[in-house]
Amino acid sequence: MDFAESDEQQMIRKLVRDWAEEVLPPTISKRDDEQIAPSKEWKQFCEMGLQGVTIPEEFGGNPVDDISESIIIEELARVDPSLSVMFCVHVGLCAKTIVLHGNQQQKETYLPRLAAGEVGAYSLSEAGAGTDAAAMVCKAKLSEDGSHYLLNGEKMWVTNGEQAEIYILFAKDVDHPEYGVKKHGGTTAFIIERGFEGFEVGKKEDKLGIRSSDTCTLILTDCKVPVENVLKSPGSGFPIAMNALDNSRIGIAAQALGIAQGAFDCALKYSTERETFGVPIQRHQMITAYLADMATRISAARHLVYRASWAKQQHYEHGAPRHSLEASMAKLYAGDTAMWVADLAVQILGGYGYTKDFPVERFFRDAKVTQIYEGTQEVQRLVIVRNLP
Amino acid sequence: MLMNGVPVGGLSHPLEWMVKTMPDIAVLIKRVPDTIAKIIVVDGTIDLSGVKWIISPYDEYAIESALQHREATGGSVTAITLGNADCDKTLKDAKALGCDELVRLWQDGWESLDSNGVQSILAGAISDLGSEIVYCGKAAADTNAGSTGPGVAEKLGWASISNVVSVSFEEGGVEALVPVAGGQAKVGINFPCLLTIDKGPNEPRRPNVRGIMMARKAEVNLKGGQAPAATISVISKSTPPAKPPGKTYHGAENVPAVVQALRDEANVI
Repeated sequence: MDFAESDEQQMIRKLVRDWAEEVLPPTISKRDDEQIAPSKEWKQFCEMGLQGVTIPEEFGGNPVDDISESIIIEELARVDPSLSVMFCVHVGLCAKTIVLHGNQQQKETYLPRLAAGEVGAYSLSEAGAGTDAAAMVCKAKLSEDGSHYLLNGEKMWVTNGEQAEIYILFAKDVDHPEYGVKKHGGTTAFIIERGFEGFEVGKKEDKLGIRSSDTCTLILTDCKVPVENVLKSPGSGFPIAMNALDNSRIGIAAQALGIAQGAFDCALKYSTERETFGVPIQRHQMITAYLADMATRISAARHLVYRASWAKQQHYEHGAPRHSLEASMAKLYAGDTAMWVADLAVQILGGYGYTKDFPVERFFRDAKVTQIYEGTQEVQRLVIVRNLP
Repeated sequence: MLMNGVPVGGLSHPLEWMVKTMPDIAVLIKRVPDTIAKIIVVDGTIDLSGVKWIISPYDEYAIESALQHREATGGSVTAITLGNADCDKTLKDAKALGCDELVRLWQDGWESLDSNGVQSILAGAISDLGSEIVYCGKAAADTNAGSTGPGVAEKLGWASISNVVSVSFEEGGVEALVPVAGGQAKVGINFPCLLTIDKGPNEPRRPNVRGIMMARKAEVNLKGGQAPAATISVISKSTPPAKPPGKTYHGAENVPAVVQALRDEANVI
């Protein structure tokens, strides 16, 4: 067992950290206040080639190991959790899903575009179908000549909804024999382009946190999708969706880890600078204890996240068992750690922590979503117990 | 052979001129403690065991110049360092930025070589490689001596320019912008030559992920060196004298005292 980061993992961490610390802070408050998506920052980010880390070289990508992918997400979230989730969805839920389930033609059509920086998204949830994804009501009907599907319905909570060009979107094929028989019967995964007829980006949500991440509804009105854009086959979408979530859960766990680290770094620095009763507050035992506990929990979360990333790679490259258990444990623990650490970070900064002069209030707001999306903490516990050896 | 970018003498092969316009570029890099590292002194020597190591910052500017040179004229860039296997990481950092070849020079007792020895080994390697132009940082962040570049050039019998802030690339040579009293001078120089690079308008690039993954697979060519025995030895080291404690004044009545102290002790007004 080796816990050391490899040379390239160290180099990738340094690359992303240096870039994030230099490029993101000048615009971060404004983007958070006004809910502006980080499109300009994304363009700059793409110069490093990181948008293609889950895409094979033959399709223009720059593959890295799965721990490195988590390190990139973590380092982005340490400064800007919104850009972090944008990256996470692009490389994980969108590109990786096409890599795993797309046919040669779909890979040739879409992966080079995603590798070149066109933004990807993933759309499973609906107003009445979040945790209970199989309850979706969005419908797909094959045209009479069999050349395309017509999709109708409204999707919700779509990360990158406003910026994306390419979406993995799930709807139920009403002609599928299992439609209406099994709860998730007929669920089909489609690759949808922003320009498709009948596709429209709807309302952008006004959120508590990750406000620079564009979360939108998508409105499908006889949206015309060629049959070539069905992933695998009609009716095979539900396992694709669940499998994608196993992968992206690790990404969100890495995001939560980065949020915790960012909040902690700020609190640690403040604790050495701020003096009360003649000494830096770090010397007061209560604060010392907070910092020790925060650092320890972050370290524990980091081990779970990297181990889950490793298990994911073992699964795809060496046929090891699915990494559902590791992914859910990492997400559960890292999400709770982000919230808990961000809370204490605000506490350590006191009144200053409650203002927008310091980033901890933003980390505090951003942390909350890591306990909700990619499967709530309650769902993680279900997955964990059902997958115990 | 080229003179001012124009081929002179007979060409033995019609492609020779084409080939010769693609220079072999070398860049000398040094592994140094991170410039923000906390320096711990134990028993009069510096304890470097817990220190993070980086490419010396001026060498990053040298790499940037070398890469821009290659982009402008073609050719290949060889990064060269002297040291033990730990320095391979430094070379791989250079590879991730885009250098083509990596060479690590090694000699037993390399850590105790004096400047003359280091320069001899580097000059020998540059001769063997057939490099036509060499870039290096104007000074290393650890010793801050600034002797390596000019020393190597002298050993090679080459012309050199120090403290270059900007380079433009010509066939058969370069033009370098250097600070002179009251302004800047543009200096033309033919191959073979050596430039030491100062911080200039061209910020060193970042690596990209493809470069990092290529660096992982990159091979470091190990070459032995032969340096003359050291003629310089360090007799003693000492820390700078401790800074006297600051003085604090309170209240408007102390303004004259502060002014007097600023004038007489601090010599700032």
